[in-house]
Amino acid sequence: MRRYFKLMSAFILALALICPLSDLGQAGTPSGTLVYSHTSNVGPLNPHLYSPNQMFAQTMVYEPLVRYAEGGRIIPWLAEKWDKSADGREYTFFLRKDVVFSDGTPFDAEAVKKNVETVLSNAKKHSWLEMIAQIQPAQVVDAHTVKLVLKDPYYPLLQDLALVRPLRFLSPTGFPEGGKSTAEGLKAPIGTGPWVLRETKLGEYDLFVRNEKYWGAKPAMERLLIKVIPDPNSRAVAFETGEIDLIYGDGQINLDTFGRYSKDKRYQTKISPPLSTRCVAMNTKKGATKELPVRKAILHAVDKDSIIKGVFLGTELRADTLFPPTLPYCDLGLNPDGFDPAKAAKLLDEAGWKKTGTSGVRSRDGQTLTVDLCFLGKNAVHKSIAEVIQAQLMKVGMDVQLIGEEDDSFYKRQHMGEFDLIFNDTWGPPYDPHSFVGSWRVPSHADFQAQSGLPNKAKIDERISQVLVSVDEKARQDMYREILTSIHDQAVYLPLSYTTGLAVHGPNLENVGFGATEYEIPFEAMKKK
Amino acid sequence: MIRFILNRLLLLIPLLLVVSVLVFLLLRLGENDPAMSYLRLSRIPPSEQALAEVREQLGLNRPLVVQYFDWLGRALRMDFGLSYVTGAPVLDRLLYYLPNTLYLAGVSMLITLGLGLPLGVWSALRKDRWPDHFSRGLAFIGVSTPSFWLGFMLVFLFSIKLGWLPPLGMGSPLHVIMPAFSLSLMSLCINTRLIRTSMLEQMNARSVLYARIRGVLEKWVIGRHVLRNSLIPVVTAIGMHMGELLGGAVVVENVFAWPGVGRYAVSAIYNRDFPVMQCFLLMMTALFVVSNLLVDVLCAWLDPRLRYGKGAEL
Repeated sequence: MRRYFKLMSAFILALALICPLSDLGQAGTPSGTLVYSHTSNVGPLNPHLYSPNQMFAQTMVYEPLVRYAEGGRIIPWLAEKWDKSADGREYTFFLRKDVVFSDGTPFDAEAVKKNVETVLSNAKKHSWLEMIAQIQPAQVVDAHTVKLVLKDPYYPLLQDLALVRPLRFLSPTGFPEGGKSTAEGLKAPIGTGPWVLRETKLGEYDLFVRNEKYWGAKPAMERLLIKVIPDPNSRAVAFETGEIDLIYGDGQINLDTFGRYSKDKRYQTKISPPLSTRCVAMNTKKGATKELPVRKAILHAVDKDSIIKGVFLGTELRADTLFPPTLPYCDLGLNPDGFDPAKAAKLLDEAGWKKTGTSGVRSRDGQTLTVDLCFLGKNAVHKSIAEVIQAQLMKVGMDVQLIGEEDDSFYKRQHMGEFDLIFNDTWGPPYDPHSFVGSWRVPSHADFQAQSGLPNKAKIDERISQVLVSVDEKARQDMYREILTSIHDQAVYLPLSYTTGLAVHGPNLENVGFGATEYEIPFEAMKKK
Repeated sequence: MIRFILNRLLLLIPLLLVVSVLVFLLLRLGENDPAMSYLRLSRIPPSEQALAEVREQLGLNRPLVVQYFDWLGRALRMDFGLSYVTGAPVLDRLLYYLPNTLYLAGVSMLITLGLGLPLGVWSALRKDRWPDHFSRGLAFIGVSTPSFWLGFMLVFLFSIKLGWLPPLGMGSPLHVIMPAFSLSLMSLCINTRLIRTSMLEQMNARSVLYARIRGVLEKWVIGRHVLRNSLIPVVTAIGMHMGELLGGAVVVENVFAWPGVGRYAVSAIYNRDFPVMQCFLLMMTALFVVSNLLVDVLCAWLDPRLRYGKGAEL
């Protein structure tokens, strides 16, 4: 037995010696390092491609010509100013002269041209974005001036240029060899942004360092370590044990955990301004929701305040319209269809849906008033909201069947229109309203299908196509008013709440704020004491 | 013996083929749509045009049979394709993460054997007394404890409350303690019970009775006759534990943010990353079969009855 124990000890010692040791990550981080966590590695950081490149990390390394600011304002960024021709088809951008990429390569008109070219050479990958179909190859006017010419006067060009992808700028030295496009891969992820990707260890962490050549205010911290932690509970544990300094964003931790932290004096919790809108889309072509009075009754029967209090623990704001009035073209003074069960009951009575039997469910001509509500089965928030809606609609005599499914089936239902009610959020800034509204014209998320029963659907689609290429600001406002009012009056959506981002940190971290969009995390301002 | 090993290795080829067909079909006959998943991860609206574009890019618009034989042809040349999500070669990534999982499973196996053996022996030697009740109780609780729950409880106690051990990740030898213990508890408990039962059986064997009659010292009776013979079923069980540990790693690696192959597989399942799932399942099948083969060889080597009797026939 003694020999056995000796043998075992030798084994354990040997394993301890050969076990992989990492210089970073867990065994203490150097001072001057801010530690954050994300569900996966940040990816190869190709500015012109999508998954697995993580958007928040792309914004840390790459910058746009113009940037999206609060309230939908577009502000100068790598371009210090721009001119638009009278017909809205030509944009001339005057680039900042003090910008270099993190490897010292100057940022100039040639670099812009090269990036536009490589993106256009893969136009099929970006077919979802109208801007790519609109722009032609960039023209170099002089070393620091470029011109973009459009096929039509597409007004949201500046908004689309501000997006995280696909049109941010990679250093010409980061392009692949042999004149290949960036769709084939990168030589190195070199941008003009405040951070430089220094090291990636798959499944463990990504290490960023401050871009010492940055033209703007340089990050307060020298290094930013982003650990890979997929599980929200594990993230909370990592935070409580000091393994990470910051929790930031939507869905990083459970709301219960956030509620616990907000009561704990050791931590500071913050809630961002509204981002996207959490909605339930109602199918105007199928089932009982085909009828306007039924859809209106649903709007009046659901008590959003109780959902916000009970499910979101007060972390989100009540939404009465599809877009918050703070977004461009969205302050329309639309009438909120407030919580009023009596009115809901009256609407249903008038539509012929009467309570007859003992079950409490209304019926008409032998048909009971039953609707399906589809949600993502693994999404605990969806499930809780769905249960509240089910209980509240039952009170006015409407039977709700809950259908919880996995991602693919859920999105397939949205795409194919196989639903009565289905969760369907807006995309949030900088996509709202123009990109989101633009997507209503073809089946993708639930919007096209939900609206397809409206008598004026063709007219709405036509207006959307017109508004995107309208030059006159007044006409554009009028068209947005027409589109959004029509959708609101015909009760296509049940807006529930405006989603928010959450942040938690300890007292040793200063200047934690929120970006204008959910994809930008202002790490550069954050400072560890 | 060599013929026996060769036979078993040859058998691996049709087995892997069958598994590859089954996995290929099972993944594709469900509702799963990798194109939809890719667009969701990329935050691109899934219009018909975007879906068609991604399907073409990933080669999903070809007939299933063509897809399978194309995949098989490349797999025979050890090219298991590119991940739908990352675009990286699947085999490279799996081989990158595999050593971390084997390290975790290896330490767990050491715990399983290192603690299971003395507990089992102790329990058998003190049958129906408190050590026996204690180890049986422990085994009962251990077998019924889900590994992820145990993981969180350990983290709560040793990381949050006591601050003794790092809660997650991989780095120093301390990092492996909690994940390895969470992973091994079930195998450890099964092993303890197995050794106890096997010891008790051997104690009643005639050889043991004769040894005692011959006046052999009790410690030699237990050490040379009972324990040695009781170990054979334990060696057989190692093959089974290997499967439990590799399967369990899928859960435990997520709880402890352990950068292993199991966690990579879980993210592939969420993202409908078919090439990764196919390669992972084949790799696990091969690992499981080879580890069982090694166990069989070890058993034959340990047990002369197998070597000269059944082994000789093979």
